[in-house]
Amino acid sequence: MASTKAVLDELKAACPLKGPVNLQLSTTLTTNTIVEGRGTATAAVVIPGPGVDLRLHGLDFPLFPLPGYVDHRGRVVAECEPKEAAAAAREAQRGGAEALAIVGKFSQRNPSLEQAVLDAVHNGKLKFSHISVGHKAAPRLGFPRRVVTAHLNSQVAKAQRKFADAVESLGEGLGSVRILKADGGTMTLAQSRSLPIESILSGPAASTMAALALTSHQGKSMVVVDIGGTTTDLAVIVQGQPLYAREGAVIGGYPTAVPAILSRSIGLGGDSEIHIIDSEEGGTRFRIGPSRAGSPVCLGGTRPTPTDAVVALGRVSLGDRSRAVGALKELGARAGLSWEAAAERVVNAFVSQLCAAIHKLYGELEGQPVYTLAEFLETPHLRPEVITCLGTPAPAFMRPVGEALQLPLEILPHSASANAIGAAAARPTIGLTLYADTALRSLSIPEMGIFQEIERPALFDQRKARDRALGKLREYAREVGLGEPQDMDIVSEESFNIVRGFYTVGRIFHMHAQIRPSAQRITGEEGVR
Amino acid sequence: MKSVGLIFFPAFDWCITPDHPEREERLLYTRDQIEEEGLLDLPEFREYRPRLATDHELSRAHVFVPNIRAHLTESHRIAAGGAIAAADLVLRGTEKRACALVRPPGHHSMRFVHGARGFCLVNNEAVMVEHIRQQLGPQAKIAIVDTDVHHGDGTQDIYYNDPNVLHISLHQDGRTLYPGTGFMNERGGPGAFGLTVNVPLPPGTGDGGLLYVIENLVLPILKEWQPDIVVNGAGQDNHFTDPLANMEVTAQGYARLTELLQPDIVVLEGGYSVEGALPYVNLGILLALAGLDYSQVVEPDLERVKPRQAQRVTDHIAWLVDELGQMWAGRKGVDLEAHFGKGKFFERKRMVYYDTAGITETQNGKIRLCSSCAGWELVESRSDRYAYATVAVMLPWNACPGCRGEAEAAYQEQISEKKAKKVVFCDPERDKVLGCTN
Repeated sequence: MASTKAVLDELKAACPLKGPVNLQLSTTLTTNTIVEGRGTATAAVVIPGPGVDLRLHGLDFPLFPLPGYVDHRGRVVAECEPKEAAAAAREAQRGGAEALAIVGKFSQRNPSLEQAVLDAVHNGKLKFSHISVGHKAAPRLGFPRRVVTAHLNSQVAKAQRKFADAVESLGEGLGSVRILKADGGTMTLAQSRSLPIESILSGPAASTMAALALTSHQGKSMVVVDIGGTTTDLAVIVQGQPLYAREGAVIGGYPTAVPAILSRSIGLGGDSEIHIIDSEEGGTRFRIGPSRAGSPVCLGGTRPTPTDAVVALGRVSLGDRSRAVGALKELGARAGLSWEAAAERVVNAFVSQLCAAIHKLYGELEGQPVYTLAEFLETPHLRPEVITCLGTPAPAFMRPVGEALQLPLEILPHSASANAIGAAAARPTIGLTLYADTALRSLSIPEMGIFQEIERPALFDQRKARDRALGKLREYAREVGLGEPQDMDIVSEESFNIVRGFYTVGRIFHMHAQIRPSAQRITGEEGVR
Repeated sequence: MKSVGLIFFPAFDWCITPDHPEREERLLYTRDQIEEEGLLDLPEFREYRPRLATDHELSRAHVFVPNIRAHLTESHRIAAGGAIAAADLVLRGTEKRACALVRPPGHHSMRFVHGARGFCLVNNEAVMVEHIRQQLGPQAKIAIVDTDVHHGDGTQDIYYNDPNVLHISLHQDGRTLYPGTGFMNERGGPGAFGLTVNVPLPPGTGDGGLLYVIENLVLPILKEWQPDIVVNGAGQDNHFTDPLANMEVTAQGYARLTELLQPDIVVLEGGYSVEGALPYVNLGILLALAGLDYSQVVEPDLERVKPRQAQRVTDHIAWLVDELGQMWAGRKGVDLEAHFGKGKFFERKRMVYYDTAGITETQNGKIRLCSSCAGWELVESRSDRYAYATVAVMLPWNACPGCRGEAEAAYQEQISEKKAKKVVFCDPERDKVLGCTN
């Protein structure tokens, strides 16, 4: 926190601005809290109803199942007893849980059972440092991910609260404060207190947003390659829009429902280990990674790395070149090659592994299932027109990658501060899900806690559903302090006739409304500080 | 771990008519249930895309009148292509088992297609089975166990005289339900007698009866016949909530059936209780396919309806299984001359009604009675929609040289006689379908 304060002071000194400084923060706080297992002890009270045994999902935290059953259209089939709910929460507390998650199956269609448990906990005067409810933490379909998301949200809530308090205590000179989210958008500090989980994995999101902010190929489809020391991260931009992870972010091995920019991390970087493989034809070849060898020899390390290969070849100037050559001579000797040949082959191996990873990613994306004829027949063209890359060792490796994939290559400036640029360029995002069932006369927008009756179901049509979704999104944006939003879109929608006994008895509308993530353009030296 | 590849194509933008049972909504709740259960987050499951079946792939199983384009929508091609994609996952060893939840269904579609019957236009399973045989070769033995509540008359028609495809159909008795066929005495043509097994179940059959048939008839038959691939045409309309049939089967029953049958490939057929049955039955089937615990898959209506099977139904099924077991055991000793005559050909005439399309077709067919192979076949078909005839000359898989010569001559003769408007020649072993329009 002291460092944030120092940066803030420095900024104010450097900027000729008089007014307060607006802060956009990309933090690793929640990510690290989860990955390092330092979160608040949390238990989940779950209402699974019948179906797949939740234990099959291998969740390794305490679960307290309660009876109760909501079906796929949000009808309560069996209620949840308040007494049992309070008893479960008490037991969780006795087991050491300081924070709680309350999650029901299909709670996004009807949260009344989650609400009943919450009421029972409050009425029982049970104190928890944070309670997350499933329908707010993860309104999308996917009960196990909802359980995980609500649980992790409660785990990191206390840490985030402390952080938010500290940021606010910076006091004077502070303008608006926004936190970067995994989806490449930002949220307010207040939002980050109730849904801190959304700030996980903002690092990869930041580098994608940086690419969007800095690229000269606006609106094009591109693959973003961020070559680091240990890993290389790939992200995909289709016609100027980043692609999302289909189901949500995965963190620390936990699949969550947190909306996230799709990012594929491969164990291939400047500091990766180099393995000598005896090929079947008798020759030798190299394989890079996935583990890290340590610092390159040219920078004082002990084992040769891909960085040493490009330094030895004189394509990058970094550290002590003669040490890099020495390391390659030793590697070449083991493989029966001159150091020059060894260095070239290391670079070739790096390039071909990276190309293979890019092909594999696009292959998977193109093979993703779709559920309508329209989508099947008109699958958008994903293939990149440009390779955009970040990361210090990028050019030496990326030129041959560009040649191999026959794509123009763009090396972005300011690689070292890409994360900061991405965070600064990000704009607020917010989204909601509307599910309306005119036969049951029910309408829900779980993000806003709206569960209401449709007053005139016969007149509720697709246009009304869209208007409602967009209107509520505007309201929601104001409510959380994001002002008047622009770029609101219905990003996906479905509608179905409900037919019973050969008569249409109603319609189901299901749609997502969203402010799409976008990056403020940053151009030229002047734009970046 | 039993890995399961799922091909799911609910075709949310396709229907026969907006209020038809075969409509957009049909797999909506199944999708919701599968996604809400997080099924695809389990390591046992992976989802794949279907593909479009090609004209050639479709024509291996069907003769379309007047042509493919007159009937087909993309949804039919994707449903058949989904089944093919499912088969490929298993054949290539990508997955241990595969399940194609696609629509529309296909098992009422016969060799000749003048239009849709029983909501079906393309026999997804037959198109898939022919694809499998092209991969595995002419000796491949494939068993199709059709557990849709309606008789799989289309599949039966296509494989009636095929000794390498065993077709077992469990269905509600044809005297009480569409399509009104599938009786015990429909046992196969002269080249494959006994390899069509029909199990007409009485209305009111529940889990007990269905599983009794599987354990005491189907499994012993499969054990003896040793198929290379077992396909389950998984209709879900035996469910106690189905609006079109009268059975008492539950999701637990379907899951147990799948667990017992251990099919390599499951292809969805019918099932029109879109809310009360499909989400739960599909879930149960998928869990059972993966060898996972399905004991907690329970329909919301189960407690209220309490489906049960009457004693007389149980008794009738015991008799049925006993009878069919004896027929199976005795199939090789049957006097085929008594069934099919002593002549050179077994001839038959029949009428086929296309309920969905409202077409009546008349067929004159003959099968060569051959001691060296299943015998070549000629079918002349007319419908009340077009004045002309269409003729198909079909070689069986593993045709003997004699039959091959005769069939080729018959094809040439049909062309030169110009009596039929369209003549088709099917040669599965060389994967050729020739067509000639006069």
